[in-house]
Amino acid sequence: MKRSSLRSLPLRAGALLCLAAVPAVAQETDPFNKLDPNNRFSIELMIDSARNAGLPSDALRSLALEGIALKIDGKRIVDRVRREFTLLRTARTTLGPVSDEEVKAAAAVLNAGAKPAQLAAFKTREQGRSDLQAFTIWADLITRGVPSEEASSAISKLWEDGADDAIFYGLWKSVQTDISQGLNPGAALQNRIRETPVRTPQSKGAPPEG
Amino acid sequence: MIDSEQHTYIDMIAREARRPVATDRAARERIMTLVRSEPAPHRRSSVWAAIFQPRFSLSPAVSTLLAAGLVGIGVIAGAFAMNRDGHQVGQPRFAAAQRLPVSDTVVKFVFVAPQAEHVSLVGDFNGWDASKTPMVRSEHSGLWTVTLPLPEGRHLYAFVVDGNSWSADPNAPFAPDDGFGHANSVRIVNRGS
Repeated sequence: MKRSSLRSLPLRAGALLCLAAVPAVAQETDPFNKLDPNNRFSIELMIDSARNAGLPSDALRSLALEGIALKIDGKRIVDRVRREFTLLRTARTTLGPVSDEEVKAAAAVLNAGAKPAQLAAFKTREQGRSDLQAFTIWADLITRGVPSEEASSAISKLWEDGADDAIFYGLWKSVQTDISQGLNPGAALQNRIRETPVRTPQSKGAPPEG
Repeated sequence: MIDSEQHTYIDMIAREARRPVATDRAARERIMTLVRSEPAPHRRSSVWAAIFQPRFSLSPAVSTLLAAGLVGIGVIAGAFAMNRDGHQVGQPRFAAAQRLPVSDTVVKFVFVAPQAEHVSLVGDFNGWDASKTPMVRSEHSGLWTVTLPLPEGRHLYAFVVDGNSWSADPNAPFAPDDGFGHANSVRIVNRGS
């Protein structure tokens, strides 16, 4: 090789590395790279399967990213993503063609401990009525210690009576206050559900911010 | 013309072609001197030739330094051009200055942590990345706030205090156990809420 070629070799290599640098930086910062290749493959496979099945795959991706951010063991993340996949599928099967957000909220209710049959009451609803707030409050009550049967019964009854987002939020706020003051969660719900007014969907006001 | 006559002519031509030509030695030298004095013909230019057939040379030390500099520029440019998810960033980080997509709503998050040195918001809207949405402390109070645009729907979130402690929002509904031993909160964003 000529001397001039040898001299300019580092320069050429630098130019090529420079061109390759931008995509390399992007690749290094993909959080999924922190997973073991087998775990990563399992999670990506479930995300693809969810997408193909018409389930909200972003919920699975978000769950995996949360696990990665918390530095949770990869196997545990895979198990949790698999469980979430099952919950999403059950929620979709139970509720039918509802929005992805509602499927995610229903999966959270199932994750909290409700039974799929208890979700069935929400399968039929007036056009334009959303059960996001109801599902969110339902899951919260069970998480705070209200027995699953009692919470499910109370929320289903309110839903069937036409309660709107403001009513669900008001109930939650009252029960949460009572629980924080030391009242038994189940008793707090029973006390507050009796004094909860039910408005028809026609008279509902602006929903509060969760 | 018959074959034997044709062969005879061909042989004559071949002999003539093979006969050494006597040239003037001085004339040949003059011609070669003229040829050598002409500049080399211009090569056809191309990107490939520009990279791999450079017409300049540098010492190995200077070439190495130059190469290192180019790599450094590339890495820095890449880091600025991409965020941690590998997506291009060109917009300010916070809601107030961002151009919102049509369906997004600006949402304010508030957290009380008087003793905290640093609080950030993590959630399904920022890939649970604590470096993406730092909260701002109000002067003379322990109130930390941030506003950001969120699409309509249900969002999970938590607050990260001093980089290691995750806390749910006490003023919002809880999400069920995430399976990782941490509590999250839920914010429902309605259009215009």
